[in-house]
Amino acid sequence: MTAKMKSSRRQFLGAMTMAAGAYLARPSMLSAQQAPAGRVAVGLCSVYNRQVVDVLSTMFDQLGGLEKLVRGKTVAVKLNMGGTPTLRLRYLQPGMTTWAHPQVVGALVHLLGRAGAQRIRLLESAWLTTEPLQQFMIGAGWIPGDFERSANRVEFENTNYLGSGKTYARFMVPHGGLLFTGYDLNQSYRDCDVFISMAKLKEHRTAGVTLSMKNCFGITPCTIYGQDVPEDEPSLIPTGGRYLLHSGARQPPKSAPPAVDLNAPKEDGYRVPRVVADLVAARPIDLAVVDGIYTMAGGETPAQGAGVSVAIHPGLLIAGTNCVSTDAACMALMGFDPMADRGTPPFERCDSTLRLAEQLGVGIRDLSRVDVAGTPISKARFDFRKAWNSLV
Amino acid sequence: MSLNAKWVPMKWPCGPIEIARISKSRPADSELRKTIEGWTQPSTLQLLKGTPINCLVVDWASGTADDEAQQRALKPLIAAGRALGLSFVGKVGTRENIAAIVAAGRAAGLEAVMMDGPANHPLDLPVILGFPRDSVDWDVTTEIFSATGNVWPGVVLPTMKGDTGVGGPTGEPWMDSNGWFALLARQMVSNKSVWLEIDLPESSGALPVESYCRAIADSRAYSSHWVLTLDAAMRTGMLNSDPQAISVWKSIGVMLSFFEEHAEWATYKPMGILAVVSDFRGPNSFLSGETLNLLSRRHVQYEILDRKRALAGSVTGLKAVLWTDDDPPSAEQHRNLLDFVEQGGLVIAPKYWGPAGAGPRHEYWLSGYDIYDLGKGRIVVASGGFSDPFQLARDTHLLVGRENDLARLFNPGTTNCSTSIGPDRRKEIVQIVNYASRSASYLAVWVSLNAHGARLWSPGSKTPHSLECIPESGGTSFELPEFSVNCAIEIERMV
Repeated sequence: MTAKMKSSRRQFLGAMTMAAGAYLARPSMLSAQQAPAGRVAVGLCSVYNRQVVDVLSTMFDQLGGLEKLVRGKTVAVKLNMGGTPTLRLRYLQPGMTTWAHPQVVGALVHLLGRAGAQRIRLLESAWLTTEPLQQFMIGAGWIPGDFERSANRVEFENTNYLGSGKTYARFMVPHGGLLFTGYDLNQSYRDCDVFISMAKLKEHRTAGVTLSMKNCFGITPCTIYGQDVPEDEPSLIPTGGRYLLHSGARQPPKSAPPAVDLNAPKEDGYRVPRVVADLVAARPIDLAVVDGIYTMAGGETPAQGAGVSVAIHPGLLIAGTNCVSTDAACMALMGFDPMADRGTPPFERCDSTLRLAEQLGVGIRDLSRVDVAGTPISKARFDFRKAWNSLV
Repeated sequence: MSLNAKWVPMKWPCGPIEIARISKSRPADSELRKTIEGWTQPSTLQLLKGTPINCLVVDWASGTADDEAQQRALKPLIAAGRALGLSFVGKVGTRENIAAIVAAGRAAGLEAVMMDGPANHPLDLPVILGFPRDSVDWDVTTEIFSATGNVWPGVVLPTMKGDTGVGGPTGEPWMDSNGWFALLARQMVSNKSVWLEIDLPESSGALPVESYCRAIADSRAYSSHWVLTLDAAMRTGMLNSDPQAISVWKSIGVMLSFFEEHAEWATYKPMGILAVVSDFRGPNSFLSGETLNLLSRRHVQYEILDRKRALAGSVTGLKAVLWTDDDPPSAEQHRNLLDFVEQGGLVIAPKYWGPAGAGPRHEYWLSGYDIYDLGKGRIVVASGGFSDPFQLARDTHLLVGRENDLARLFNPGTTNCSTSIGPDRRKEIVQIVNYASRSASYLAVWVSLNAHGARLWSPGSKTPHSLECIPESGGTSFELPEFSVNCAIEIERMV
């Protein structure tokens, strides 16, 4: 099956190129070349209740205030709901281990509404389905109505396919890209004024860490970057995981921007960090929010059994205006060196997404050059590997 | 003499007919021949002691020269069994001299005969009619009827067919289950019992104990009976008092006893706010049947309504009706369905038969459907009719909405569940079956009701295990301990 085009294929590609061109002209993209540091705020929060709103509110004030970023704007929030909604680490709900907790999502929506956001769009590429995002949430035991009641005009979109748009939006990577020259995404990532990545504080077997940047791996639609997609055009429905991004065993449909180098390594530890760096360069993150109140150590999915992920309680919230700097602070809080690279934890078998994004001019990872507000990292550090070793 | 709904059946392969059958496939297998001869001996019936099995299905006539010897060989076995309180059902595979064959069976002590089609004239014994399950004639089923063509319950591992991978359409482990068919049989002919005949899977040795127990659980959890069938290695082992075979046999007995001790669960009403309507006959049987199967795989709980009799009055207790057949509703059904829609119900149909002049709208997330808003409800019509049961089951679940789920499983792995409710509506039962050989662990079950209390029943345990009721998402969750094949949650509802 291929995507139905109301206009001709030529018009379709032309429209996407125009969209990409318009996007590249934005000053925020061009300034990314200078590797800004941004500001990061760290907050202590031990429970998922009203306290989350208070802590996040303070943190956003420490970052300079939410209002000037979002007032009157359309704000898109990429959630962190990877995998199937029915999978849990032991009996724990996904918000306690793998996904940013709904209490944190609700708190952010509430604060965005309070700060004057005109429209808040919750986005996620729901695993293997075209169902509305609300349905996916309900399947996990979430109540989407809670988010709708937290602010005015809250919308949801499953971005794993064309969704409510007529065409995909094309995002070209500045300076040509590391793995692909550009990416075709659901239009929701273009039709917003502010883009927020809301992630979970956790490790990742392929990318070392899953933080605000790796969260954006999931903005790629599986109708283009999934297994078994057609040769020429996107499929209508997601056909599988993002196998081709991981393995490079094949290319996306010809309608999508091509690979930079067809002979690039096929190893996922090489490819996934580069895809992530490309994506955050092409679709900049305006605000990163990371939930580390409860989470897990040892991996990114709730794989059961001995020697895999374990539930932990760092009691942390992290936010920042630059995704590289925010993720660097997160790494330090997790007990890792943000300047580390392949061969050093947590990048034992992959390249550092932070270094690659820094090379693309997205931001800096050297914490000596980053302004960290709120609780000092040294006082909030929660060593993930130590916790994992003690619990497994 | 009449058929007894309390029969717990077991196939008892013995005598010359069985020897002739295996001589064709395994002519040199002298040990198996010895086993069959052994199982013809009345002393073998002692193996049934302590089990709930009370009805043995034996070959009585095959229309061959072996019939006379078969009946002669069975007489002592039947006489001894009757003395032990066992009932015997004779399989008759011929129509020649049927009256005489049945009369002889009655004289020998048979209580019923099992045949593939109705006889042309009255017989001396009650008949259990057998049907291929894809062509059951629901209008002529007997009080007990049997169905062939069932699947061996379990996980189907992806394999390769040439250079093509073969897997389930969900991309997840594909589970074979007869549960949907048992539900269908139960609701199409509510006061009758269905016996499932299942061919044993090919195996180089004895089947593992979980495999037998799963086949029992997959039938009994859905209120049907598997006609228990043992593989040759197992029968040989039992005859030789092999400890391993005896241990497996004991476990089979425990599993059968579990369901007998909770026989009232089989009378509980399957729950569902979605009704699937079809005549489940002829050309409609595949699409409607497979849709039931795939709805079950999504843990969607449903009611089944026979199109020929359904919707004669106002539609109550439902939120949605899936009308799978191309045939339009009768005038009465049409009126009742439109009333249902006007009041807020959802009807999903392959063709539009609502009021003329209504214009459809479309949703971007629901490709290929026209949505007609009528009153407070909707008629949703597949633009090109229904053809793919996988897509139909998925879209139906989506249209009904997960907010209307009655049950959800977390970490479901290779498990499935069915829900039913007691006559006074105070108790709900969630039966869970694990289709893999590996135990189910960290399984959490969510139900859409506020539970007052809950108990977990497991085979082999005479007393239930108290379960904590955890409020979650407007319902209640239960965290189940690890289990091998099956268990059941008995929930006290707040009424």
